[in-house]
Amino acid sequence: MSDVKLPTHSHAISALVQNETGTINRLVSMFRRRGISLASFNAGDCEQPGYSRLTITVNGDDSVLGQTIKQMEKLIDVVECQDLAPDDRVMREVALVSYYPSQISREAVLAVASEYEAKIEHDTENCLVLQYTGPVRLVEKYLEAMQTFPVREIVRSGPCVLKVSDQ
Amino acid sequence: MEALVRQGVDTIFGYPGGVVLPLYDEMLNWPQVKHVLVRHEQCAAHMADGYARATGRVGVCLATSGPGATNLVTGIATAIMDSIPMVAITGNVNSAAIGKDAFQETDIQGITIPITKHNYLVTDVNDLPRVLEEAFFLANTGRKGPVLVDIPKDVFIAMTDAPFPDKVERRGYKLAGAPPVEQVDVVAKLIAEAKKPVIIAGAGVIWSRSWESLRELAEKAQIPVINSLLGLGSFPRDHELSLGMMGMHGEAAGTLAVQEADLVMGIGMRFDDRLTGNTNAFAENAKIVHFDLDPSEIGKTVRPVAWVEGDLAESLKMLVPKVAEKRHDEWVAQVKKWQNEYPLVVPTGKFLSRTVLNSLNQHAGAHAIFSTDVGQHQMWTAQFIKFTQPYHFLSSGGLGTMGYGFPAAIGAKFAHPDKEVWAIVGDGGFQMTLQELQTAVEYEVNVKICLLNNGYLGMVRQWQELFYDNRYSSVEMGSPNFGKLADAYGLKYFQCSRVEDLEETLKQASAHDGPVLCEFVVEMEENVFPMVPAGKSNSNVIMDPALTNGEDYNAVHASWETGHGRRVPGAESEHTSDDVYASGTVTK
Ligand SMILES: Cc1ncc(C[n+]2csc(CCOP(=O)(O)OP(=O)(O)O)c2C)c(N)n1
Ligand SMILES: [Mg+2]
Repeated sequence: MSDVKLPTHSHAISALVQNETGTINRLVSMFRRRGISLASFNAGDCEQPGYSRLTITVNGDDSVLGQTIKQMEKLIDVVECQDLAPDDRVMREVALVSYYPSQISREAVLAVASEYEAKIEHDTENCLVLQYTGPVRLVEKYLEAMQTFPVREIVRSGPCVLKVSDQ
Repeated sequence: MEALVRQGVDTIFGYPGGVVLPLYDEMLNWPQVKHVLVRHEQCAAHMADGYARATGRVGVCLATSGPGATNLVTGIATAIMDSIPMVAITGNVNSAAIGKDAFQETDIQGITIPITKHNYLVTDVNDLPRVLEEAFFLANTGRKGPVLVDIPKDVFIAMTDAPFPDKVERRGYKLAGAPPVEQVDVVAKLIAEAKKPVIIAGAGVIWSRSWESLRELAEKAQIPVINSLLGLGSFPRDHELSLGMMGMHGEAAGTLAVQEADLVMGIGMRFDDRLTGNTNAFAENAKIVHFDLDPSEIGKTVRPVAWVEGDLAESLKMLVPKVAEKRHDEWVAQVKKWQNEYPLVVPTGKFLSRTVLNSLNQHAGAHAIFSTDVGQHQMWTAQFIKFTQPYHFLSSGGLGTMGYGFPAAIGAKFAHPDKEVWAIVGDGGFQMTLQELQTAVEYEVNVKICLLNNGYLGMVRQWQELFYDNRYSSVEMGSPNFGKLADAYGLKYFQCSRVEDLEETLKQASAHDGPVLCEFVVEMEENVFPMVPAGKSNSNVIMDPALTNGEDYNAVHASWETGHGRRVPGAESEHTSDDVYASGTVTK
């Protein structure tokens, strides 16, 4: 499935950071202080021990983006950081949706879920959980469809981005 | 302690407490490092800052956990705003107690994240040698700044064989490489094309030690040089191309020159709002060029057409040979005309802060270090003391921290025992940190305090007068009897409230071997001009009313023609009897 373009004012930044006490705090503090609003923030271990790879999405024009990247690079913990254009990245998000089985038509819900190849992750008398992973725009369409039924809870992971360009 | 000695630290400013006891105990074994016991931790940070600004070296301060650490905060914030190299060491409760609201625990790392270049909480003693080495390296390289190291008590006590690293390596911290030649070429070309160029030189010129290159550049292409507040001293004020300070209270000629220029080169400065006024109307006729070490400063507030990222020590050296010799006689003549038309003035017949500072300039301007507090007296110092050397002007520019001036002067004096050091303070700000009088007396720190007592929070009063219709609200400020106060602390005191006594007071103050408090009881309602109202365009600069209201005044210029001030061509000349503080100037 090909990646979907975000609206032009939304940017996905990938960053490699050295893990120390305060690293995430320092990043988030910088964003808050400089009035840069985050659409999402994601951090996790990566292939290099002692380092994490982050995905940050921000909304704003190019000057906001330029400042964001420069301010991030200024932080001592940030090893590298770049805005990845749609062609240079794979970007995916996970969405979990739960239902009270008693409140829905199971067949109808599973029919929509299977259109998206969403998986059943939990299935008990009181709780049905479906998991879908895909490009952000499809996640949004999927959730829209799934909300035509009375959902119990929804959670989204926020996007994760990985560089695919050769440089 | 070994880490400090390795870094060549000779003086640290601090205050003890429970969790730093192990360090204070160990200190007794290291006589080569002098510990200065302050009276408030905020002042330990300001002293370290003053020490750094006067030397270009890292200043070090030390505090205990909890309240000790939080008391440092104002001083650290002051340092980050002005990119001052500082290492702040704080103790914390035992590692095991962290996060449990132990006695005197505070999350100083969390608190100082937004106001440090970097900070550390060291939980393993084996990391300590590396962290301390890194802290000094980070503080003093690249764009400098304060670094805080928080050390739990048990880590102070623990022993380690971990070696100090030979070299600091952080993947996320790369020093600027050589600036791209193409960028420098573009600038050289813009200079060649310019008819009305000006340079605005900031503190970056000082911290990168590139004042020689700046001077070569200015002279080679005959470009007038304006300084940002903190750039004062990076270009000699008595140089014929110097226009003094730029900004809200900058000298009019510089402000007008920037508005009229076709090329404005910001060098090692950050186009701060106090300097640019309304950015939309800033240098409207000019192409803006920006030289800075910190890429995030480029394009942050104004949009340059060309820029050179990197260390000025390299970029200016690259630029100078590429710039052709050039004259801008007409432009320079125009700028000088403005200087003559709108000089700084000292109205006569009154005892003003300006009267005192103009005199102090003639008395000590050429050689002394001056630190200031924040307020009207700070702006007058920047205007009237004609700085000719780097590291001689210490002032809180970015944060505007009242209470900074006096402790910073103490820090500078520890660094330069042989230099005359003056703290210029207001009655408001001095009362914020005057407990350090005891520190000065105890350590026999020979600082001269020039207290300009106008009975007001003068700068705030000026705004209330001009922008709030004279409605004075909480700006009248009572003071203690400063003579008795000086007595109580045991230091020399002079009071002066007449022009006739001024010269003698300054002479005796300088001659006295020890700290001196000179209280100058000055006119209460004196205003700082020129002034660009906040948020307004620099073209809306308000000139000193004394220039037009028929008042008598002495015009004060930098001293390249007569040595002390200069005759205003065209004005009918008639020397005043007050030659003492206005020698070479004329009365209108
Ligand atoms: C810690 C702090 N509090 C408040 C201010 C706001 N402020 C700026 S200048 C000023 C007045 C300073 O008065 P004084 O020290 O007497 O100096 P003067 O302006 O009279 O020369 C004030 C209150 C500040 N800069 N710093
Ligand atoms: Mg005052």
